[in-house]
Amino acid sequence: MSRPGLITACAAMLRRDLTLAWRRRGDIAMPVLYALIVTMLFPFALGPEDTLLQRIAGGVVLVTILLAMLLALDAMFSSDIEDGSLEQLVLAPQPLALMLAMKILAHWLTTALPLIVISPLLAGMLHLPTSVMPVLVLALLLSTPMLSLLGAILVALTAGTRRSGMLLALMLLPLCVPVVIFAAGAVAASQQGLPWLAPIAWLGAALVLLLVLAPLACAAALRIALDA
Amino acid sequence: MTAAITDVPDNEPLLETRALGFYRQDEPVFMSLNFRLHIGELGLIEGDNGSGKTTLMRILAGLLHVDEGELHWRGKPLQRDQCLGEMLFLGHQLGLKADLSPSENLRIALGLHGHRIQTSVTSALAEVGLSGYEDEPVRRLSAGQKKRAALAKLLLLPAALWLLDEPYANLDRTGIALVNRFLQEHLARGGAALVTTHGAVSFHGGEAQRIRMHA
Repeated sequence: MSRPGLITACAAMLRRDLTLAWRRRGDIAMPVLYALIVTMLFPFALGPEDTLLQRIAGGVVLVTILLAMLLALDAMFSSDIEDGSLEQLVLAPQPLALMLAMKILAHWLTTALPLIVISPLLAGMLHLPTSVMPVLVLALLLSTPMLSLLGAILVALTAGTRRSGMLLALMLLPLCVPVVIFAAGAVAASQQGLPWLAPIAWLGAALVLLLVLAPLACAAALRIALDA
Repeated sequence: MTAAITDVPDNEPLLETRALGFYRQDEPVFMSLNFRLHIGELGLIEGDNGSGKTTLMRILAGLLHVDEGELHWRGKPLQRDQCLGEMLFLGHQLGLKADLSPSENLRIALGLHGHRIQTSVTSALAEVGLSGYEDEPVRRLSAGQKKRAALAKLLLLPAALWLLDEPYANLDRTGIALVNRFLQEHLARGGAALVTTHGAVSFHGGEAQRIRMHA
């Protein structure tokens, strides 16, 4: 008998969270529907003018997806705290940060990935040129994991508090400003035919930094939340 | 693990607390608590509601920090990274996901903690009286059945020390007998256990060390 390896433990965590998400597939559809409806409101509000919509398309899609992700963020650790699974996870002979990284990965796969899949549709509704779509998707692939990771730290920090949803939004949105600037910058540059690699590289660098640090911060914050 | 357990000299306690104290907003929950728990020994933590039984359990498990005093594990000051996986904590919150079935829940626990013996999940569930409910979501089980599903972890996971917080709560008479049998087998195997109880139901097999908590 020996302690299971890291890969076994990671796989168990990932499978657990994906199965849980699949049992509640209705919840996966919510952010997608939200993003669709919000994007649809813009042409109604601003008029179906091609040039105007094209100019705002990249930014609108980015911000809409950011807000849609915020809807589902709240639930990242709450049910695990309520039913005691988190205690068991903390006590398990596995590195907590890595296990939480798996939870964040599962969360990203179930909330952000569906949004990225429909992002060309959202952008198309706002007449974003097809040539810009790959850059938009690339920017989303790099920026949405950052939102999940930043969000996870804040969810862990607000874990003990009641009605943390609004507080979470107030804390997360300012932190998202650099992410939005670089992601929207890449899309805008590509739209104007300028080189767009630099902002994408910045997003990549920031993502690597967060990938390493965010799970550690989450683990520390959740340990403090339980120690009360 | 069995080999590691027998390596420890008989006189050396598995777990020892020295002048353990815990404070909540400067009010003592308990103070200067001393006890030694040897291998093969059962400690019954007794006390009224609010006397700090659960708090003590959470401190021993490593969920709460030690305010005052010392914890010793196998004769040395306790280091959490050296006794990882040696303690199994079963609290009021059972740590079962309501959307998953008992067998799925147990498989996750196995993936994180590892297998003690080659008992299958199905036979462990049969032993706690949940055969036929393996694939039912936990949310549809009764409180007692949920407790039994959590108790199946005791059969499957490796740990030298069991920390059971109110293991008899919600259980019927056969369930209580089941917990007692698991405890006896664990002690005979070279394990140790700490069990909280408020005295209504208690362990009937053999001698147990009684640890009294005062509010």
